[in-house]
Amino acid sequence: MNKFALLGLGAIFIIIGFVVKDQSWTRPEMFAGLQLDLGKTITNIGVFLLFIPVINMYFYVPLKEAMDARNHELESTFTEAEQLRVQMQTLKSDYEARLIKTEAEARETIQNQIKEAQNLRQQLMSEAADRADALIRSAQAEIEQEKNQTIATIRTHVVDLTLAAAQKVIGENMDSEKNRRLIAEFIETVEVAS
Amino acid sequence: MDLLQQLNLPLAEAAEKEIGWNIFFYSGLVFAIVLVFATLAKKDLKNRVFTSLPTRLAEHLYLFLEGMTVNVIGPNGKKYVPFLLAIWTFIFTGNIMGLLLQATPTADWSLNIGMAVITVVYVQYEGIKANGLLGHIKHFSGPKLGGFMILVSGLIFVVEIVSECMKLVSLSLRLYGNIEGGHIVRSSLDSIIAGVPIGGLLLPIKFFTCLIQAFVWTILTCTYLSIATSHGHDDEHEGDHGHQPALTEAHA
Repeated sequence: MNKFALLGLGAIFIIIGFVVKDQSWTRPEMFAGLQLDLGKTITNIGVFLLFIPVINMYFYVPLKEAMDARNHELESTFTEAEQLRVQMQTLKSDYEARLIKTEAEARETIQNQIKEAQNLRQQLMSEAADRADALIRSAQAEIEQEKNQTIATIRTHVVDLTLAAAQKVIGENMDSEKNRRLIAEFIETVEVAS
Repeated sequence: MDLLQQLNLPLAEAAEKEIGWNIFFYSGLVFAIVLVFATLAKKDLKNRVFTSLPTRLAEHLYLFLEGMTVNVIGPNGKKYVPFLLAIWTFIFTGNIMGLLLQATPTADWSLNIGMAVITVVYVQYEGIKANGLLGHIKHFSGPKLGGFMILVSGLIFVVEIVSECMKLVSLSLRLYGNIEGGHIVRSSLDSIIAGVPIGGLLLPIKFFTCLIQAFVWTILTCTYLSIATSHGHDDEHEGDHGHQPALTEAHA
């Protein structure tokens, strides 16, 4: 019921109680020992009808609102704490997942680096071996060339020496060009035989 | 014809101490004390944790009444807490006043009947709100009976109406008897040895009586509300509502 209606009704009852207070019917003789006074009863109904909305508005509603607000605040704090806990749990899971992923990536990178280093080593070794082979081949060719040149020089000297010796042994009637050719053919024959 | 004088009960002697309409001074005092208490209690309501004694007492009183309504009526009963709070504070403060002052509103049957009238009317109002006017009237005739047994329903209806009227008497006389009885016993003890207030020894028991009587009135109101509004709730709880009030009444 409306609070103001109750207040109005209470005031009306109080007035009625005071109006009828001296009338004989308000004090039934049957209950004289119990001091029943219906005027007081009616007035007290009025007092209590005033009391209920006043206590409700002045005491109950603020108390209820404060307690509800506190309960609401506690509930929201608990909810917030729960949300933070869930969030932390999620972050922890994310962190652990990222850690695992990072570890895997690092491991993979290290493996790749090792593999790359091994390939590079292999490549360098291969290149070094090729270069060494090339150097050896080049040195051998050079040696061969030097050898051939030396042999040619020696052969020339030998021909010259032989001609000189033969000139001294055989005499002057021999054509030096013709002798030179014969000796060279001889030496060729000797070389082929050796 | 004065029944009590005819029976020569001690209450007839108590009639000599009637203070008449001055009782409303004490009634106003109850009003004022409750408002002062409410003002003190409200001061601490802004804080997150209630630290002052009045606020904590108010909180505990509220939780106590809420728990009682929920236990007796069910979750639906929380809406009756404001009325029960008013009843409880008025009766308890009035009772306590009797420990310190010469008179108390709750030791006057006329005033108690006023509160009982409001309680019973409020219960009927809530019953009509919950079940509708016809449903509420049907509620008085007990379970549906067919054939000639409808006469039993009629009888139950009459008994229930008388029972509702007697609630006025039972509520008001119980409180009046306990509080006024306590005063008479204390006065009697005080008069045994002139100048020695032996009756003061009864104060702890009287304090307990004050507490119990406020509790009894409120729990009975809960019970009446539970009976009157039971059909408005879930049918599955109907049985519970039907039995618990009877038990509570028996204990009271």
